[in-house]
Amino acid sequence: MRKLLSILFLSGFICLGNAKVITVGKNSAIKKIKKALELASDGDTIIVDGGYYSEGNIRIDKKVTFIGKNYPVLDGKHKVEVLSVNADYVTVKGFKIINSGHASLEDPCGIKVYDQKNVVIENNILDNNFFGIYLQNSTNCIIRNNNLRAYGKGEQLIGNGIHCWKSNNLKIIGNKIMGHRDGIYFEFVTESLIQKNISNNNIRYGLHFMFSNDDSYVGNVFKGNGAGVAVMFTRNVKMINNHFEQNWGDSAYGLLLKEISDSYIFKNTFSKNTSGIYMEGTSRIKVEKNVFSANGWGMKIQASCMDNVITQNNFLGNTFDISTNGSLVLNTFNSNYWDKYEGYDLNRDNVGDVPYHPLSLFAVLTENTPSAMLLFRSFMITLLDKSEKVLPSITPENFVDKTPLMHALPL
Amino acid sequence: MGKYLFFVMALLLSACGSNGPEEIKLNSDHCDFCKMTISNGKFGAELITQKGRVYKFDDLLCMISYAKGGNTEVPNGNTAVHYKAHYVADYTKENKLVPAEKCFYIKGGTIKSPMGGNFAAFTNNKEQNEFQQKYNAVPMTWSEVYSSIK
Repeated sequence: MRKLLSILFLSGFICLGNAKVITVGKNSAIKKIKKALELASDGDTIIVDGGYYSEGNIRIDKKVTFIGKNYPVLDGKHKVEVLSVNADYVTVKGFKIINSGHASLEDPCGIKVYDQKNVVIENNILDNNFFGIYLQNSTNCIIRNNNLRAYGKGEQLIGNGIHCWKSNNLKIIGNKIMGHRDGIYFEFVTESLIQKNISNNNIRYGLHFMFSNDDSYVGNVFKGNGAGVAVMFTRNVKMINNHFEQNWGDSAYGLLLKEISDSYIFKNTFSKNTSGIYMEGTSRIKVEKNVFSANGWGMKIQASCMDNVITQNNFLGNTFDISTNGSLVLNTFNSNYWDKYEGYDLNRDNVGDVPYHPLSLFAVLTENTPSAMLLFRSFMITLLDKSEKVLPSITPENFVDKTPLMHALPL
Repeated sequence: MGKYLFFVMALLLSACGSNGPEEIKLNSDHCDFCKMTISNGKFGAELITQKGRVYKFDDLLCMISYAKGGNTEVPNGNTAVHYKAHYVADYTKENKLVPAEKCFYIKGGTIKSPMGGNFAAFTNNKEQNEFQQKYNAVPMTWSEVYSSIK
């Protein structure tokens, strides 16, 4: 037994002994990253000292740990993809990657992972790249604490910050993304987690889901993006504890839901958006314990939505709480707090005794005739709204919260 | 004076009767079918109805689905939209719309369009052949493209 152990122990040593550490830098024997990659074999570590490296496209095709010390700069000079990862178990850490190529036919990136498993990309700075980090056909990868910045302008093509395509089991954690087209983009990505990222001031969406099922995004901040967050053609997505802020514009939403089902929206904050949530073709979604404050519209629920439950949310200071484009109501509202509620609570059970109709007449009118907005806050409209509250005629009668709360929930 | 008036009138009239496509404002206009903001000028499309209303799309797939899905301008629902013109973006240019009927198409291969229609349109046969080989795609005509989408 002891013999066996010692053999195991020794062989362990031999393995460790095999893994080299190669240092690249001005003061090292090896000056070029590509040279180091040539010399390396699987399991080695390459440490790159701070400095400026412009070696064209760098292709990592061995299982190495690739570490930058004092943020060495890798410059693509607007011509090439800077770093291509073509091996499993690669770690890329501590680099500053700038100026990838800018082409519309291919998608040149700061860092691109091609069909690999268990790649870790962390603590990098990516500046002025076309696409930032791109995962294609990859499994079990981690993208953590990277700082991505691009300078996209309105009328020009720019890539996404973190772009994931046909992948699964990804973890995207603690990144900061600015100025890209979509901050984070998921297409055909399953069983993945997006957590604690800050995605601000991107040209299109802060986060964009297409055909990506069984994912969660938790505790992210999406602020000042062109049109907020879009979750489309997807099922089973959990959206928890996120902030959707300052998404203003004609077709801008805090959260755009289109053709999505069986999902859960819990404890998010929607604040100062043109529309907090816009839903179309959405079914079996539970919207629970969210705060909608100071939006143009709290929620726009199109008639194509069904079996959604909206419960225990706070609606505070929105111009319109709810709006819809049809008369069909297949969604349930209950136990929300509406600051526009004017009912009373005689038995003091904290639940209003009179049902609340969250859909105002004017919201229905402007949905059909947007230019009617001109008359908003005019005397006639206020009068009409009041009479509609008493005797609903245009607004669907069953669009109602039968148990409105008297006080805002502590959210 | 009369000369000037004539000139001004001519100018006004020409502005009214403009027949071409309306330019798509990238990252600002949104697709009338899928609601996404249009951000890639290579895959855009536009439909103009007989009444002159302009609908913009981010993907050829969206335009044809919209055209076939019917909309409020059609009284009895699910028939085709009465269109005047279809336009589609020239793949080799940045955001330039050309008449869809006159284009040469390819589909599939490594093309990736915003909504997964994966069509690319070209104004001539030579470009179509060139990109078809480059992307390993299938060549198509406009009528094939149109009928391939339900």
